[in-house]
Amino acid sequence: MKLNNILNALGIILVAFGTILLTPIVVALIEQEYTSVLPFITASLTSIALGFLFQHYGGFSRNFDNLKRNEGLLIVSLAWVVTAAMGAIPYLFYGLSPLDAYFESVSGITTTGATILVDFSLYPKDFFFWRSLSQWLGGMGIIVLFVAILPQFAVAGRQIFFAEAPGPTEEKVTPRITHTAKALWLVYILLTVLEIAFLFAAGMPLFDSICNAFTTMAAGGFSPNPLSIMGYESSRITWIVTCFMFLAGSNFALQYRLLIQGKPRPLLQNEEFRFYGIIVVVVSSCLCISLLLDGTTTAIHAVRDSLFQIVSLITTTGFSSADFALWSVSAQTILLTMMLIGGCAGSAGGGVKVIRVLFGFKYLKREITQIIHPQAILPIKIDHKPVAQDTQSQIVGFLFFYILLMTVSAILVTIIEGDASIGLVGTAATIGNIGPGYGDIGPMGSFGGLSVLTKVIFIINMIVGRLELIPFLAMLHPDFWKFRK
Amino acid sequence: MNILLYGATELGYMLAQRLCQEHSLTLIDDLKRLPDKFNNLDLSFVSGSGADIDALEQANMNECELFIACSTLDEANIVSCWTVKKIVDLETICFIRTMELYKNLSSKKLDRYLTRYDIDTLVWPELLLTQDIFRIISVPNAIDVEYFAEGRAKLFEYRIDEHSSLRGQLIMECSFPPNVLIVGITREQNLFIPDGSTVIHKDDKVIFMGTDSALDTLAATIFKSNNVIKTAVLIGGGSVGFMLAQRLERTGIRVKIIEHDKARCEFLADNLKKSLILHGDGTDLELLEGEGVDDADVVVCITNNDEKNLLCSLLVKQLEPTRRIITRVNNLRTGQLFERVGIDVTVSSRDSAIKELLNRVQARNVDILALVEGGQGEVLRLTLPENFQKTRVVDLDFKVQAIIGIIKRGRKLTIPNGGSILEAGDQLKIFTMAEDAETVKNFFS
Repeated sequence: MKLNNILNALGIILVAFGTILLTPIVVALIEQEYTSVLPFITASLTSIALGFLFQHYGGFSRNFDNLKRNEGLLIVSLAWVVTAAMGAIPYLFYGLSPLDAYFESVSGITTTGATILVDFSLYPKDFFFWRSLSQWLGGMGIIVLFVAILPQFAVAGRQIFFAEAPGPTEEKVTPRITHTAKALWLVYILLTVLEIAFLFAAGMPLFDSICNAFTTMAAGGFSPNPLSIMGYESSRITWIVTCFMFLAGSNFALQYRLLIQGKPRPLLQNEEFRFYGIIVVVVSSCLCISLLLDGTTTAIHAVRDSLFQIVSLITTTGFSSADFALWSVSAQTILLTMMLIGGCAGSAGGGVKVIRVLFGFKYLKREITQIIHPQAILPIKIDHKPVAQDTQSQIVGFLFFYILLMTVSAILVTIIEGDASIGLVGTAATIGNIGPGYGDIGPMGSFGGLSVLTKVIFIINMIVGRLELIPFLAMLHPDFWKFRK
Repeated sequence: MNILLYGATELGYMLAQRLCQEHSLTLIDDLKRLPDKFNNLDLSFVSGSGADIDALEQANMNECELFIACSTLDEANIVSCWTVKKIVDLETICFIRTMELYKNLSSKKLDRYLTRYDIDTLVWPELLLTQDIFRIISVPNAIDVEYFAEGRAKLFEYRIDEHSSLRGQLIMECSFPPNVLIVGITREQNLFIPDGSTVIHKDDKVIFMGTDSALDTLAATIFKSNNVIKTAVLIGGGSVGFMLAQRLERTGIRVKIIEHDKARCEFLADNLKKSLILHGDGTDLELLEGEGVDDADVVVCITNNDEKNLLCSLLVKQLEPTRRIITRVNNLRTGQLFERVGIDVTVSSRDSAIKELLNRVQARNVDILALVEGGQGEVLRLTLPENFQKTRVVDLDFKVQAIIGIIKRGRKLTIPNGGSILEAGDQLKIFTMAEDAETVKNFFS
């Protein structure tokens, strides 16, 4: 591993991120919140200065042609850690403790949407704008963003692009990685703009429309309204957000084919997308029945809220159209199962990913068939194509580690907090980048009251979950840390 | 006609045997490898490869009208066909053994491409065999099935068992639907054309011809079977097994394939949608029992090894004597053996290929539509010439064994009786013995 490469890459990312940190100032000027200018200028300058410092130590080299695999993994991991730290600087100016600021920033940039805020009225609009913007930047992936906009990463892009999103499918829209990154961002921006327009037309204030659209498309879940989407008390807005959350949770490369190239078939015939659609429809019907049986809501609201909540949790957005922390245990159990699934591969959603769940089911089915037909040759096929053996073991490994990590984290948090529901649901919600859990950390609650250790564990969960475990797992091996000149 | 044949293979031998009586045949191949049996045939040899231009020149290509390439090498066959085409304009027939090459050369997309492959007829015996097997499977209980006139007329062959209502009856007394004729009966491996006074015995194989709907009624009333084909087991997963499984899958039949080569199993499993691929040997009794092969509605043995096919078929027969078994035979002589030991339906890619090929070689207005009983009987299609006088069917005297199965006038199909009248321009489908085919052809021209 070459330290120079890592420092240079991080330096470049920090300078670019510092520039982006200036954008909230525009909002501050429009909203005439002049006190908000200073925090962002400070953050921006810190980031840029640090960026140049890193590059200075790295020798300002722009040659990333020989980037090794472990270097790529480390760059990606550190990029998330460091940009989250820079993003936390403005929060410090609003009275948040450093750990809380970092928690809020990590939660934002990893599109988790878990908040430590209790009283939303204390903060200016600019504060909420930055929260939403940080989620929007993280939604498509920090690295995808920089590969798209920074020409320095042209060659190295491939290595770090797939290190960030190590899904089982290597979906590329165009042969060149920078084009792919740009294409994905094009779809992302297009859908965001559409949603802003729809929300605004549905009667939401422009500022809220922008913030909510940012966090919907990122599958993030921060809302400037303390009551989340429920706070707008509009069925139309709820339905619009449901639709866009659904899109945010499906594969962007396939949406690119649909929206830009006008080819609907790759998306509609995609097995993962179909499975995703089936889960949403079936599980939300179950939830709807469960809500009706509880008898606390009307039929039309039950349909709306169950669909909204299922889409919100499966895509790992974490918005709420009702306080599901108050729902019955059976309804909450249905929601918890959704937390374990996550969005489609190549989407803004986090979690295990639909394709891995689909694979898991096929794997089980294969094992069962194999018992009855010991001599049968049974390939696992997704989209009518057999899944290669090494991909198979990678997915099985992923699923195993995901469960292992969840168990360890859940046990630790349960011991620290003395509350099994916070331990289990909080872990599921942070590792899957969903956001709210049940009880004190429910959609109307806050993570602010948790102990320091729990917050640290959750911060690690969020970053590891966002990077889909693999970079994190690689770091556990001693050979990963061999540096060379 | 002067015919040039490239390839002293088993198939080449069978072709030569059929063709050398009527046509003058020249065979090209390496003389050292020439099997002895070719020496008994009346033809001339040229030593060399068909892809070698010198050998072709030597074979007096300029006087030939037809070139048939049937050597064991696909590429050599293709090259020789091209070479011939470059020099003289004659008809070429090329035999292919691999799927990829067949697809390349026969693809419908070809017309869009810049240059066409210059081969007149492409024959892939295994594809023809697959079609034959599929046809037979699709009619329950039938031993042989052929379609004519886009499926509006058919030929079915059935074995008469103990319980059949036709057993022991005179043909003229049998009550089967109108528009159905019995055109042939095979008794103890001998095919003959019956008349009204023939009695149908047990174990006779009876060949029916008729219109589409009439034969379906026949199948539903007299040879009714309550087992609609739902499951099939294929032993052998070569090209035939693969293509057959694809077709069966499309009709919703559940397919199991037993194949002994691991790599091939993986190929099949990757490329077939629903079939269950089992890695094992078709002669492994434990596997056959464990996988419930005896419960399948039809078992098809299509490995490329006759002995193995025979053994598999017998094993399955042992497990469940009434099971329908279709067995592939490569060698004609083993084919007769198969029937002796009670295997009803034998199919052969060579038969399928020869039928296709003879159609090309025969004169324009005569086609061989089907071969039955390993070539003992033929279904000929011929058109009555312009100067043909109106005649009643009873007044025709073929002097040999032949029966008119179907008369096609315009779009209309008639199953004739003695009083039917033949006119010039009618298209006849005549069932006749192979040795009498020539006489029948001459009779009408």
